[in-house]
Amino acid sequence: MSDTSDQTVVETPHGAGKSDMIVLEGVEKIYPGSTQPAVSQLDLAIPQGDIVMLIGPSGCGKTTTLKMINRLIEPTSGRILLDGKDVTHVNGDQLRREIGYVIQQGGLFPHFSIADNIGVVPKMLGWDKQRIRERADELLHLVGLEPSVFRDRYPRQLSGGQQQRIGVARALAADPPVMLMDEPFGAIDPITRDRLQDEFLEIQRTVGKTIAFVTHDLQEAVKLGDKIAVFATGRLEQYDDPDTILTRPANEFVSDFVGGGAAVRRLSLVELAHLELHPIETDERAVGGHNGTAVAEVDGSGKPVSWRHLPGGDAAGMPLVTVPISGSVYDAVDVMLDGCASIVAVVDEEGRAQGVLHWNDLLGGLRTRERHS
Amino acid sequence: MSAPAAPVVGPTDVEPEEEEKTQSTFARLWFQHYDLVILPAIIVLVLGFLLIYVSTRELDTIEQRVLAPANVFGLLRQHLLLAALSTILVLIIAVPVGILLSRRAARRVQGPVLAIGGFAQALPPFGVLLLMAFAFDFGVTTAVIGLTLAALLPVLRNTVIGLQQVDQSLIEAARGMGMSSRQTLFRVELPLAVPVIVAGLRVALVLNVGTATLASYIGAGGLGELVQQALRLNRINVLLVAGGIIAAVALLIDWLAGVAERVVVARSG
Repeated sequence: MSDTSDQTVVETPHGAGKSDMIVLEGVEKIYPGSTQPAVSQLDLAIPQGDIVMLIGPSGCGKTTTLKMINRLIEPTSGRILLDGKDVTHVNGDQLRREIGYVIQQGGLFPHFSIADNIGVVPKMLGWDKQRIRERADELLHLVGLEPSVFRDRYPRQLSGGQQQRIGVARALAADPPVMLMDEPFGAIDPITRDRLQDEFLEIQRTVGKTIAFVTHDLQEAVKLGDKIAVFATGRLEQYDDPDTILTRPANEFVSDFVGGGAAVRRLSLVELAHLELHPIETDERAVGGHNGTAVAEVDGSGKPVSWRHLPGGDAAGMPLVTVPISGSVYDAVDVMLDGCASIVAVVDEEGRAQGVLHWNDLLGGLRTRERHS
Repeated sequence: MSAPAAPVVGPTDVEPEEEEKTQSTFARLWFQHYDLVILPAIIVLVLGFLLIYVSTRELDTIEQRVLAPANVFGLLRQHLLLAALSTILVLIIAVPVGILLSRRAARRVQGPVLAIGGFAQALPPFGVLLLMAFAFDFGVTTAVIGLTLAALLPVLRNTVIGLQQVDQSLIEAARGMGMSSRQTLFRVELPLAVPVIVAGLRVALVLNVGTATLASYIGAGGLGELVQQALRLNRINVLLVAGGIIAAVALLIDWLAGVAERVVVARSG
């Protein structure tokens, strides 16, 4: 660690040459009246455009760390760099206006209309009314809520999921390069949460923010994170991409935390949508010459009904089982065991085949898809 | 109330629906607020009975002079002025003090200050008014100060409580988005505390309208004067009317404040 304020460009396992947007250097927080630091000597670099999930048991310092980035909590020592600029001692209010912030249940102001809620930061930044209005409409579109319907509503008239969408839209309002999210989907039912996570990834693909995201849900961390930072009482135990965290935990704490040893439990953490699947053909003409590709018969609506050709042969004896792509590898294994099949077709919401998963893939190691292509 | 949707499509279809809609908003308002009609009805009834009773009586010249509209309305005006002035003073003093007390730096003095407020309220207003009159001066100013002291607590306490009950996560969201603590106070905390503060103000106002009756004893006028005149002159009819009017005014003010409170609550969501 150097004391000079030079531009920090650290090589990352992800895309080479990607500069670090958020850098914490030797950051420490000791709350008054406490001898034990809540966060001790933390070094953490978040590459630009990445989602980094801060995870750990409660009281591990993950939320403290998040709030030190926008200085809602002042660090006791160490420094914080944002896009290479030392922000440890700049005006906190000004700093926070340039960082998006999303909290649990959205934290929407009940006495502000939806448009006013979204416009909070732009208004503080002195945008004119017309521009704030247009921005609110634009963001409502982005989060999938019709502006003419929702613009003038009040938060209490919205469902929890809708409120959370507005919470994200509000954080994006002034187009900050960095967003901090504090368990935003924590208090939402599992089905809605899953959909919000998908939408969130979709939005992130278009906006490409640098995001620090606190969660206590390992599944969420694996699903959303480009990297995961596992915390134990004030210390960073491991900082790696999700696969490495799951397959090669750095120490006993991390392996305990991810459910150490119980390989089967990991299956439920890996979503089929994030896997590199084998291709599947459903075209009538694609019978010959595709030795390496599975071919399925489809019914009138495009749903696969039986195998015509399998790479390993014996298409006739193999029952065709399907699993929705929204499920996890655990679901796929369940379906395979249940149907006595060594291969499963992964289908989308309409029931159309998207790819296949072999039993052997489980043994040979699952390959996840590169998300930033 | 969507009866079998008529398949006939035409411009005439729209109108009855629209009409039904306005009717239903009216019905909705009525269902939410029909209880507001009860109190004015009682007031009108009581005052009506009083009027009928008085008109059946032979009033002597003294009674006629005391009950002359000019006298009654003049005293009523004084009375309302006393109550209004003291309530405004309460608002000006108690709300800012309440805000200060709810700031983090002042949390420690909150308890003692609220205790002093409770002490002030526990003192009998009549005694306070008399003592203050002897200590300072007889008249309106002293009366207003006395009334103000006696009504500080409800507003002070409600301001503190109203600010305390603002969801902590909203304050955090406000700060997290870069609002200064001042902006957070004026744009988030206070607006959300308004319903509770207004409820306290209503209590203070009603308290003041009632207590203002005692102001006449230190020469500050008001409807208490009517009671005193009736007692001095030993005129039961006047006493009856005075009592009726005082009660009616107190109820009416409470009712008005209640309506105002509902409007505020409805507007602040």
